[in-house]
Amino acid sequence: MSRILTIAEMAFIEAVRDKILYSILVFALAMIGSSAVLVTLSVGGEGRIAKDLGLACITLFGVFIGVFIGTNLVSREIERRTIYSLLSKPVRRAEFLAGKFLGLGLTLAVNIGVMAIGLIILAWALEDHWTPRILLAVGFSLVELLILTTFAILFSTFSTPTLSAIYTLLIFVIGRLSADLMQFASQFGGPSLKATMTVLYYLLPNLARFNLSGAVVNDLPLAPGTLALTAVYGLLYAGAVLGVATAVFQRRDFR
Amino acid sequence: MSQDSVIRHPTSWIPPARRAQAAALAFAFLALTGAFVTARWLEGRAGDGAERLEPIFFPRAEILRPALLGFTGLAADLTWIRTVQYFGGRMEHRERFPQLYQLADMTTSLDSHFLDAYLYGGLFLVIAKQYPNAIAIYEKGFAANPTAWQIPHDLGRLYFLELHDYKQALHWWEITDRLPDRPHYIPRFLIRLQAKTGHVETALELWRQLLERSENEAVSEIARREIKKLLEEMKQKPAPDSVLQQSGQGAPHAGPSPGRPQ
Repeated sequence: MSRILTIAEMAFIEAVRDKILYSILVFALAMIGSSAVLVTLSVGGEGRIAKDLGLACITLFGVFIGVFIGTNLVSREIERRTIYSLLSKPVRRAEFLAGKFLGLGLTLAVNIGVMAIGLIILAWALEDHWTPRILLAVGFSLVELLILTTFAILFSTFSTPTLSAIYTLLIFVIGRLSADLMQFASQFGGPSLKATMTVLYYLLPNLARFNLSGAVVNDLPLAPGTLALTAVYGLLYAGAVLGVATAVFQRRDFR
Repeated sequence: MSQDSVIRHPTSWIPPARRAQAAALAFAFLALTGAFVTARWLEGRAGDGAERLEPIFFPRAEILRPALLGFTGLAADLTWIRTVQYFGGRMEHRERFPQLYQLADMTTSLDSHFLDAYLYGGLFLVIAKQYPNAIAIYEKGFAANPTAWQIPHDLGRLYFLELHDYKQALHWWEITDRLPDRPHYIPRFLIRLQAKTGHVETALELWRQLLERSENEAVSEIARREIKKLLEEMKQKPAPDSVLQQSGQGAPHAGPSPGRPQ
């Protein structure tokens, strides 16, 4: 466990030294802040516009951070050949990947935490009351991003950073659409298409489940049981993808 | 060679790299000025602001929804801002609002819980005198948000103030009265409306109940005044409750509202 934590710490330090991270963070905060100007164009719904835009920014910029840093974490070690010295030590490949995942997860948590603080302050300034439910939406966004991170790590174990980034972004799109695809298949498709779509639906991540912005912004009730199950689903799915990534990484030959 | 005979360029003291940088900045400034002038010229050719705000294409919300990857709330917000700008721009130029309903409908289809879009959208449509469209937006809002008292309240107000359909106003304010957090004045509105729709005896009874319940002197005073007024009305003509019940007009009309867009 200590080896995993050490690798996680190093991955976190490496990620926060990356200048692209700060560029994304500054841009995200500027976008969240810009909603203060955008709301002046509206009549009604000022608070919800700021929250909607802020939560969308947190998710989108979180995806960028996860993709750009996640796809480079493993490939950079291979490119710099530091992986040889690392794996020559008593470190298992599974520990290496788990450490990288935890490090990136921490980086994401810190970054979207900073964005969430910005959003909460803005929402408080616009609505004149504290809206802690934003944190709930941000928390589930983090779970969604952790799943995407595991995909970024999986793809980076066997592909180039550019291709890994493209695959991960596609997973985000498919994951957000999986429920819609299922619905389309049930409306228009034949039995074989329906069966295929059902298999794909359960195989691919249903990322739309982690999108609580509509419920939070409109102050709709959220069932605690459903939320708990959604979080469990997310963590189990992330674990499964990390397992596949480890299996692929085990077979990789570094000679 | 004497020092005076050397011809020096006025900017020769500036290092060449700096000169190139200054030239590039000067070029950028000139190009930007040119772009600004061109943009102003184009704006002058494009006609007035209201025309430029005209939406051209409205995809159906069901088709648009998957393409938004879950960011439907944000899309609804942006459509709503567009609606407000469209309304404001056309209002300023005293023009008609042919696409106002489509914009409000698109906003509320993208986010069916966007309460302000129903309320202000309905109000804009009322101002545009598109009453059937306003009713459609309010009814759509009430179907999606059956516990939001604001929507039946505003729909009742439309029937009362604009269409003078007191039975429908009564119907929607009765619904408002049953919803949580409704304003305190709704019971008084209801009683007055009961009287307006011919239910004088019912109205009298409701005012008496309010007078008994009231702990507020101002409300009690209003109740006393209304009771007195109703009693005077009853002295002048027979109680219309019985007449209305006989002719089958007693209950407020609860079916589809008249004038809904097809």
